[in-house]
Amino acid sequence: MVKPGNRLQLIQATNTLHILPRILLFLLCWCLLSGIANGAKPLHLGNPGEPETLDPHRYNLRLEETILTDLFLGLTTFNAHGKIVPGAAVAWTTSSNGLTWTFTLRRGLKWSDGKPLTAGDFVYAFRRLLAPATAASLAYFMYPLKNAEAVNSGKLPPEELGARAVDEHTLVLNLQAPYPHLPERLLYPTGYPVPEHVIEQVGDAWVKPQNWVSNGAYRLDDWQPQSHITLVRNEHFFEPVEIARVTYHPLANEQSAYNRYRAKEVHAISNFPSGELDRIRENLASHLRLSPLLSIVYLVFNTTVAPFDDVRVREALALVINPEVLTDKVQRSGNIANGSFVPANVINYEPAVMPHLHLNEAARREKATKLLREAGYGTDKKLKVTMRYVSGIEAKKTQLAIASFWKNIGVETQLHHAELKVHFADLRQGDFQVAQAGWFGENNAEHYLGLLVSDTGNVNYGRYANPAYDALMHAAGQQAEVTARNNLLHQAEAVGIAEYPVVPLYSVMIRRLVDPAITGWHENSRDVHPVRFLGWR
Amino acid sequence: MVRYLLIRTGLTLLTFWLIVTVVFFLMRLAPGGPFDGERRLPPEVETNLRAAYNLDKSLPQQYIDYLGMLVRGDLGPSFRQKDFSVNELVAIGLPVSLTIGGLALIIATTVGIAVGLRAGLSPGSRKDIALMGLTNIGIALPTIIVAPLLVLVFGVTLGWLPTGGVGSFSHYILPPIALALPFTAAIARLTRGSVVETLSQPHLKTARAKGLTERLIIRRHIFPIALLPVVSYLGPAATSLLTGSVVIEQVFELPGIGRYFVQGALNRDYTLVMGVVVVYAALILMFNLLVDLAYAWMDPRIRLQE
Repeated sequence: MVKPGNRLQLIQATNTLHILPRILLFLLCWCLLSGIANGAKPLHLGNPGEPETLDPHRYNLRLEETILTDLFLGLTTFNAHGKIVPGAAVAWTTSSNGLTWTFTLRRGLKWSDGKPLTAGDFVYAFRRLLAPATAASLAYFMYPLKNAEAVNSGKLPPEELGARAVDEHTLVLNLQAPYPHLPERLLYPTGYPVPEHVIEQVGDAWVKPQNWVSNGAYRLDDWQPQSHITLVRNEHFFEPVEIARVTYHPLANEQSAYNRYRAKEVHAISNFPSGELDRIRENLASHLRLSPLLSIVYLVFNTTVAPFDDVRVREALALVINPEVLTDKVQRSGNIANGSFVPANVINYEPAVMPHLHLNEAARREKATKLLREAGYGTDKKLKVTMRYVSGIEAKKTQLAIASFWKNIGVETQLHHAELKVHFADLRQGDFQVAQAGWFGENNAEHYLGLLVSDTGNVNYGRYANPAYDALMHAAGQQAEVTARNNLLHQAEAVGIAEYPVVPLYSVMIRRLVDPAITGWHENSRDVHPVRFLGWR
Repeated sequence: MVRYLLIRTGLTLLTFWLIVTVVFFLMRLAPGGPFDGERRLPPEVETNLRAAYNLDKSLPQQYIDYLGMLVRGDLGPSFRQKDFSVNELVAIGLPVSLTIGGLALIIATTVGIAVGLRAGLSPGSRKDIALMGLTNIGIALPTIIVAPLLVLVFGVTLGWLPTGGVGSFSHYILPPIALALPFTAAIARLTRGSVVETLSQPHLKTARAKGLTERLIIRRHIFPIALLPVVSYLGPAATSLLTGSVVIEQVFELPGIGRYFVQGALNRDYTLVMGVVVVYAALILMFNLLVDLAYAWMDPRIRLQE
């Protein structure tokens, strides 16, 4: 037992003799610990909504794609710049007719439970995706595979699908027709492998965190619907990643997302109110990340109802719309005016723009008035148009501006808005005259131009049908070589756009706020930012 | 009494069935379906989807199937949250909604009664006018304005409290306050009114004449009488607080069932919307039934009418 007097002496001795080394020791520990803590610092990301599912074969939304990209690794994948790079496959070869693709898998790949991943896992996954019982809404993404459509409709057994494992590391895919964009198609979650050994055991409950097994850089740790989804590092992933833990927060409301970012509760958000853009440019410039998304927002005419079955009426209405005014003066949210149906940032492709773009404003208006007069409309008989759009402030401003363009040539416009589901359901049924629509996604022209082919079905909302356009599109579909294919697509676009079945307006600008302390974040036209490439400064 | 109990229970079940039926068909009447979106669905894919969610059957058959599931206590799979059943979602969301509502109820009653009492005991005083002015503002300002303001001030500008979500204790401060505000104001005004009325009652003169202290008079002779109208207001208030946090859950991004309801309706998630309605209806009907039975227990006139 130490007497009080002794203890006092002890403390004094400590203070005088040992204080310096202690401080040094403390500083050393602190530096070490904060170093470790920095590597382990969890990342909090805002996602624009709650995922409907984390089953890659049942997914449907971009916000699900974001999380699934971290959880799984397909044959091909994105790098930090959104470019297509080898994923689970290290290399692939194509037969001269473009119908047979042979993929060589990376050696030593494992599931997150340590079980080896083989070519057979991909065969199982493709069969599962296309089995009618899976009811995958995006099963058609893999329709380029031989017999895929027949398997999906139950006409052929899954074994007939054009996918087979030659050995543990070699996968052969047979196609229905040449499809040079296959590596791009394989990027999507519909091309991800799923763990057969878990699914066969627990069925649909395999997506629960306690059963979770995946092959990406992360695995699912916790999922509280409408609250958060937490992923942790997959120790069996083939390369090291810096961020050990990432939490996605569903922030559907732009204002809430902006508030939570400013309160430093999340490190990155995928959207904020467009009205804040100017203020952010001033105060949070180093946080602002703008990237043009592969997308096109357009007006579509119902070509089966009068007077929009008349090319002259469609052209007149298109002539007086000035997309630059819409994006730069009305919306002011960074969107980019686009004069072609294929977005300008699609690679290896020369878009065909609307033929009137070389005319000045006065000439366009004069021509439009003349065309309308020829079609039988003028001051005595006014053209009346009902235009439909998806409810929302930005859309409303845009549509009002378009209506005012048309008012200049004596056209009366009635606006009608509906929520997204109703809007597109009506469009598919052809229940509209003129409507706003949009399309986004792939980095190839046919993804967009396919919408105007007459047998595309109900997403050719305006039921546009032109045999010359169809013939060019069909011819392009038979080409295995990308340049030849794109030349034909360009011709098709030129033929189509000259008839104005649609009026391309603009490409969407993705507006993000990202903590400047995050490294490895690069803007790209696909707007993908896999967490495995991120770190802390 | 037994007969009355049976009739009331029967009526409650009938109401419940009516609600379920009306909502079931209303939901199907809304334009657009659960699988409508921007993306293209080939016909075979749509066939697969409809079969997986039992939508390939006729509407009456779907209705009968749904009633059968309800009897077994199964609310079905969610169309939108495909990895969860509606039962699971309700089990996760209901505690959040009930916690926010319960805390709001506590705030509304304690603060409301305290303010009302303080104002009512000195009617016409400066304190009274100031407090009642504040309650006027509380009633006049809708939650949809107050809640974002609270977020802006305490979450974004001052940074004292989280702006949304759940997790720690601090997440449960702003939402109940925002939710409780109009109810606090209403309870305060109600309490003040009845305190002022009680003050003019002759029995208080007797109490004072007996020489009771002012503190004892308030506790024994004013408080219990003045609280009667407040207690009868608490029934409906509790129901709307426990079930009415739809706006609050949207503003604070809370994972409660009110948010499921909004999202479910927008996405035509038939089973999720039905599930939330079933839970709401069951809660409200149960609450009403209990109140009715309690009244009957206390008041013989109601029993005699039957």
